[in-house]
Formats: sequence, structure tokens, C-alpha cells
Amino acid sequence: MSKPSDLLQGTLDLLILKTISLEPVHGWAIAKRIQQSSSDVLLVQQGSLYPALHRLEQQGWIDSETKPTESGRVAKFYSLTKAGKKQLAIELNKWDRLSTAVSLVVRPA
Amino acid sequence: MKLLLRLRSLLNRDHLDDQLSDELAFHLEQQEAELIANGLTPQAAKLEARRLFGPISSTREECRDKRRTQYFEDLLADTSFTLRALRKSPTFSLIAILTLALGIGANTAFFSTAYGILFKPLPYPQPEQLVTLNEGVSGIGPITTLRTLSKTTNYAGYVPSLDLNLFDSGEATKLRASRTTHNLAAVLGITPQLGRWFQPENERPGLHRFVVLSDHLWRTRFHANPNILGQKLLLNERPFEVLGVMPPAFSFPSPQTELWLPISLDNRQVGEIWGGFNFQPIGRLKPGATLETAQSELRPLIDKVRSSFPWRMPDAYGASATVVRHDQELIKQVQPKLLVLAGATFLLLLIACGNVGNLLLARGIHRQREFSLRVALGASNPRLLRQLLTENLILVLLGGVSGLAIALILFEALPTVFPKDTPRLDELLVSPTLPLGAVASLFVTILLFTTIPLLGGLSLKPSRHVAKFSITLIGVELALATTLLIAATLMGHTLWQLSTKDTGISATNLITARISTGPSLCPNPERCQALLNDLNTTLLNDPSIRNVNWTNAAPFDQDFATVASAIEDHPKQPNEPAFVLWQSAATPGYFNSLGIRILQGRPFDNTDQPNSQLVTIISQSTARRFWPNQNPIGKRLRPVYDEHWRTIIAVASDASLHSLTGYPSWINGVQYIPLTQSRFLSERNLQLSILLETTGNTWPNLLKQRYPGIAVSNITTLGALRDNSIESQRSTATLLTLFAALGLILGIAGVHGVIAHRAAQRTKEIGIRMALGAPPWQLVRMVLSETFLASTLGTTFGVAVAWLLSRYLKTLLYGVTIHDPLAFILSPAILILAATIAATIPAIRATRTDPALTLRQD
Repeated sequence: MSKPSDLLQGTLDLLILKTISLEPVHGWAIAKRIQQSSSDVLLVQQGSLYPALHRLEQQGWIDSETKPTESGRVAKFYSLTKAGKKQLAIELNKWDRLSTAVSLVVRPA
Repeated sequence: MKLLLRLRSLLNRDHLDDQLSDELAFHLEQQEAELIANGLTPQAAKLEARRLFGPISSTREECRDKRRTQYFEDLLADTSFTLRALRKSPTFSLIAILTLALGIGANTAFFSTAYGILFKPLPYPQPEQLVTLNEGVSGIGPITTLRTLSKTTNYAGYVPSLDLNLFDSGEATKLRASRTTHNLAAVLGITPQLGRWFQPENERPGLHRFVVLSDHLWRTRFHANPNILGQKLLLNERPFEVLGVMPPAFSFPSPQTELWLPISLDNRQVGEIWGGFNFQPIGRLKPGATLETAQSELRPLIDKVRSSFPWRMPDAYGASATVVRHDQELIKQVQPKLLVLAGATFLLLLIACGNVGNLLLARGIHRQREFSLRVALGASNPRLLRQLLTENLILVLLGGVSGLAIALILFEALPTVFPKDTPRLDELLVSPTLPLGAVASLFVTILLFTTIPLLGGLSLKPSRHVAKFSITLIGVELALATTLLIAATLMGHTLWQLSTKDTGISATNLITARISTGPSLCPNPERCQALLNDLNTTLLNDPSIRNVNWTNAAPFDQDFATVASAIEDHPKQPNEPAFVLWQSAATPGYFNSLGIRILQGRPFDNTDQPNSQLVTIISQSTARRFWPNQNPIGKRLRPVYDEHWRTIIAVASDASLHSLTGYPSWINGVQYIPLTQSRFLSERNLQLSILLETTGNTWPNLLKQRYPGIAVSNITTLGALRDNSIESQRSTATLLTLFAALGLILGIAGVHGVIAHRAAQRTKEIGIRMALGAPPWQLVRMVLSETFLASTLGTTFGVAVAWLLSRYLKTLLYGVTIHDPLAFILSPAILILAATIAATIPAIRATRTDPALTLRQD
């Protein structure tokens, strides 16, 4: 297994927003899902995940709720707000343009 | 929205902190569970989870930071910390806050005053359109001619001040009125609050018996009666119908004006219309006109005005007339004074800031231990800097609030400090402009307090740099104090020159008052003379009254009584301007009672009657000017419009009747005439000044009991009139002296504080030097040398600044040059001396310490 690559700057917000857009999840699960969905390529550092979550919450894009998990332990679940959904669309759009542009440069047709 | 979230986070911060801990703990548990599932022992899993997570506390800090409440929390912490620290050192806090309060208070009050009087727009619509003619053109005839002819400007005219007797409920009262053209209110753009203003037809003779009241008169005398319109008032014994009441804020031409009357354009009164000059122009530029177009139109207009005179006017008439803005003309007199005072308070504020800045630096050095401890405990440098700035701002804020209180007190005192005739003072007191001055002063202070500590290297570490900076601050403070002291000395010297000036009038306890009455008591000169004789008898019956004399105006009243004269042996070309003589009408005892000596010839006596030879007495310098080395007795002079010559019968010693500063330069000489032979007794409304030698104060009742129609006003003494005439210089000098004294005290206190502190820091060095055998005087010199250098350089700089700035004081000075050696030598000497004394005390104290003790200290 190759070393998990560092996150491209600015993409953490997108990944978090995308991950919680499906259903409310807690921090641990967010990190796990990103790791699993990317087939262990993207590894989110806990040290940056939680500050990012708090920042997004402060921006009003995500909301949090404390409720029990399947195992019965109480945890903080994050979900997308209305503004967050809009922001996700913006971030996705940005990402599409960026990846297309990068592809054009590094793999010209 | 974001701010709301932030605020919510701030209010819930304890709860949020708990939540955060839970969240992170949950993460760790999950990690551990996963690791155990992967086969690790619980013990190892716990350690590994921690390792994987990284430093928890910094993540927690970072999460908190993301909530963006840290800033507020720090601010709250800094504020409460500062307040606690200030309470802990009350002396320091009190001195710092008081010093700042003084500086901010004085500066706020005088900046506000200067703004309110000099820069705030006048209370008329479009005040920038209001203009006046700065000199040369006045009088009813010339101004109404301008009004008819001008295409650029709507000209109106007014009598600045006119005294009228109002006879009401059995008593006569003197009121100040103004006679105006019908278009004055329209030019100013103000309409009455009740009734209406004059119409054009009110200027026609016979239709002019109307009056408009001031709000003040309406309220005080007529109890704000809304039915006052149409009522008749007896003014100078004639009925005038009340036409309107002006709004409260209307104070044109002066705040003391109580009523307005229309002019009467009676062409038979040639003398009044073309010969009187006590009628001033004011105008409003018509739409599209500018000062330039109005000025270019003026010259040809004045030619037409000159040819409209019923007699030939000199070609020079109105040659220097210029159209100027009314607001600028209004404040011309007070401008230098107000700017000087505002500037002085600004210097004071700078000195205060310098002083408190030095206090803060010194305190910073004392707090080294605290800072080092906090750095060791993990406080970041920016964090400490922010705390220091917060402390400074809180000090400034506390000083500012107390300063505002001081400013309010000063503001209340303004009317006693400024002469009554200061323009716009009434307006200022009604609607103070304090906020502006306060904001300006606080801005300056805050600016200084965020830069001084930065310049001083924000003494987190003691260094030579800080010490040098402290000394430099002292130098600057002393420079500013020197400038202030020089200004104060210049004004003080002026005041001294004025108050000790020999005016040629030695009487000071003479009582004087204005006496006025209407035509029924004084219909012709003979009856007037009889009235005066009867008044004299009535008064002299009272044993407390010794002498009674009469004149047209008391000395130092600044009233103008001049006459354009033809003088024997000094013929003039027809188009040359005539000689202008000061003219005072006098009763025989006048000279004696004022202390003016008759040097040659005889004083007036009872043989000088209207039908006897017309006589006059001239002053000594007038005699010297016109008849040097000749006997002036028997020479003759006459008014230019009169055929009858007056013969000079005596020469009197020189006396400054106009003001302490002498006569205006355009007056060529001084002439006295007998009251019996003057026009003052032939005016329908008698207005004279009485001069009394008495010890009692019941005499006005004697007059009023005998003649209820007589009004007595402006009762005062000659000494008070004299003092009054230098009121402007006195108030400036007093205030500047106060500011200079404060500046001096602050500067010297600053020197003392810094040197004491420096000496305390150097006790060890001093101890070693003493132990090694240095004589005490050498150590004192060592401590003093810095002060001496700072004070010498500082005062030199201050002298240089004052040397450049003193020309702005020029119009306020009298008998003193702007580079008065007394001020420029004495002031720096005082400062250097005071600074040296202030520094010597701590220096000597430092050498008194026992070297053995100081060396063993730590």
C-alpha cells in the first residue's frame, strides 16, 4: 500500500460536505468514510478534521446534533444545512473546473 | 448571521467546551475499539489511539479558535485584568487618568469652541451666499442705492445697535434695537415665527411705525402673548405697531438685539440718509452670482453711489470696498485668539500624552518580572502586546470620559472667559459642538497611545533604547511647555502693558451710566439744557453726590464720535479726504473729574452758551501736529459741512478716550466742545453719559422718581469700563497662563518621575561608584546630565517653534513685539531651572543611599 496522499488544499471542506450530505454522521465516521470511499488513498488527519468541522459549523453550513449511535454511545452528528447544500454545489462546481483544468494541462489530448 | 453564531458561541462557551471534550473522547474510543478489533491489547490500543490522534489540547485550542470567540474572550480577559491592575496601583491610575482628562477636557472644550465659532455654518439657509462690504461703504443712502442698482447681489442694510426707550407700565426701559431695510429678513432667509416682517412700503415715511420683536423680548416682557400682533408699543414716546416676532435663534445683528424697526426713507432728512454712516451693508448673492462677479460689478456701482450724494464726495470714497463673505468678516476679530487657544490646548494634550506615555514605559519596566513569567507560561508575544494596547486604550477611555466632564465644566465657564461681544457665543451655548471636539481629541490621544509604546519598543525587555526614549519624550514635553510658556508670557506682558498704560485719565472710581429720554422732556436744546440743570440740582441735593458732569460717551466705551473737519492753516484739495477729529462734548467740570489737565488757556465755563462764541479745546498732540512751535490758542476749525468756525481756547493733556490702545490710525486729532454748543442737545431723543463722583448707589432712583420717562442703563465705573476694554486680551492671557502653568507642571512632573525612576534603576551602579570613592556631587552630576541635555535641547526647540509661531499672536499683542526678549529669554530659563530642580531632588536622594545596602540587595 502506497503512502496515503495529503489532501489537496481546500478539498477537505468539499469532502466533509459531500460525506455528510447523504445522512447525519459523527466525526469518526466522516474520517472513516472518506478513507474507505477513496480506497484508503485519502487519510484525514484528526488534527485538521475537527477544527474544519467547527469552522464549517461557525460558517452556518453544517449543523450538529447530539444523539445515540447504534451502539448506544452518545455522539455529535453533523448534517448539512440549506446554506451548506448551496455551498456543496459551489464547491463541486469549483472542483470540476479545477480537475478539468488540471487534466488539460497534464494530459493534453 | 455569522456574528450571531459567533455571539451564540460566546454565550454558550462552557457548554460548547464540554461538547468538544466529549466529541474528541468519542473519537478516541472509536479508534481504540478499532485497534482492539485489529488485535491490540486495550492498554496498547489506548496509547496507539492517542498517538494517532496527535496533540489533543492544541486540536481543542484550534477548534475553539474556529469558533472565533477567542478575540472577545481575550478582550474581556484583558479588560478585567487591566481594571484589576489599575485598582491595584491607584496612584498611578489616578495620575494617569487625571492627566489625560485634563488634556482631553481642555482640548475638547476649545476645539469645540473654535469649531462652533469659526467653522460651523451660520444658522441661515445657504450661509455661503451671504456677503458684506468690508470697508468704506455705509449709510442708508449708499446702501439703498446699491440695493436698487446691483444685478448680482441682494443688498440690505442695518444699524448695528440703536438704543430706544420703551415706556411700559409707568416706567422707561432702554432696549437695544436695530433699524433695518425691509429686505433684511429675506436676505438672511429667516421668517418670523409669528406675524410678518416689514414690507417695502414700511420704508416710506409715515408708514414706518412698525416693530418686530425678538423671541426673548416677547417672552420676558409680554409673556409670549400670541395676541401681541397689532398692539402698540411706546418707543421714544411714539406708538409703534407690533408686526411680528422673530424665531428664538435669530440674533442678527447681535444676540442683544431686542427689536427691529424699518428705516424711513424721508428724502427731506438728507443728513440722516446721506450723512450718517452707522448703517452697515449685508447682501445675498443672487442665483448664479459669485464673489468675483459681485466684486467686478461693485466698482462702477460705487461710482454711481458717489455721484448720488447731495454733496461732492472725495474720489477716494469707497475705493477700497471689497465684497467679502459675511461669515469670514464676522469672525475676523476672534479668529486669531480662538486658533491660538485651540492650539495651546492641543500642545497641552500632547504634553499630557507624553507624560502618561512615560508613566506607562516606567511601569512596563517594573512589570518585567510579570511579563517574563507570562512568557514562560506560554503567552505569545503578540498576545502580550495586545494586552498592553488594551490597557492603554482603557486608560485613554477612562481619561476621555473624565475629560468630557471637565470639558462640560469648561464649556459652562466660557461666557465668563470670553467677552460678551464674541460672535456666535450665544449660539454655541445653545447647541454645543462638544462631540466633534471630543472625537478629535480622543482620536489624537489614541493614535499617540498606540504609537508611543511601539516607538518605545514596547518594553518587554528593559533596554537603553527605552531609557533614551523616555528622555526624548521629556525633551519633547519641555519643548511644548516652552512654546506654551512663551505664548503666555507674550500675552501676560501685553496685559501688563495695557493695564499699566497711562491713558491720561486718572479717575477710576468715577461712576458712569447711560441716560436716555424721549422728545417730550427734551424737545429743543433750551429745554434739554434746563432738564440737565434740573437733574444736576436733584442729584447734588444728595450729600453723597459731589460732582455731576455730562458727555456724549464715557471714555473706553469704544463708541465712535468723529467729525470730518476743516482746519485753519491746513487747506485741502476738493477731492482730498478731510481731516477726521475725535469729538467729545463736555460740561465745564469734565476735565477735572476725569483727571485731564488743561495745559494752556481756560476750561469751558458757563459763559459758553449756544449763542456765544463757538469754542473748542484740543489735545496736546493735536496742537503739536497742526501748529508745531506755534500758539494754537485763537486758531480755528470747523466741521466740513458747517460754515461756523470754532475757536481754540485751550490745550488739554492727551487722553485715550476711545480705548486703552489709543485711537484708530485714521483719526487725525482730538477735539472737545462744550455740551451746550453740541448737536447732542438738539437731538429729539437725548442720549448722554453721566459722570458722577459719589459713594452711594441710590442716585438712579432720584432721577427716576423725578422723571419716570428717563431710562438709566449701563451703570458702571470708569475703572470697570477700562478693564472691560481689554477683556479680550485679559481672557486670552488668563487662559494661556492657565494652560502654560498646567503644561509646566505636567512637564516638570514628567522630568521628576523619569529621573527618579532612572536613579532608582541605577542605585546599584551608584552604590558601586560610591564604594569606589566617587564624590556625591559627581554622582548628582551624572544623574543630572541627561536632564540637562534634554531640557536644554527641548527648550531650544520650543523657543524655535515659538519664534516661528508667535506671528499668529501678532494681532493680540500690544506694546510687545512678537519676538519679545522677555518672553523668549525668561520662559526657557524658567523651564530649564524648574527641570533641573525637579531632577536634582531624586539625584540627591540616590546618593544618600548606603552603598553597602544597595550592593547587598540581591
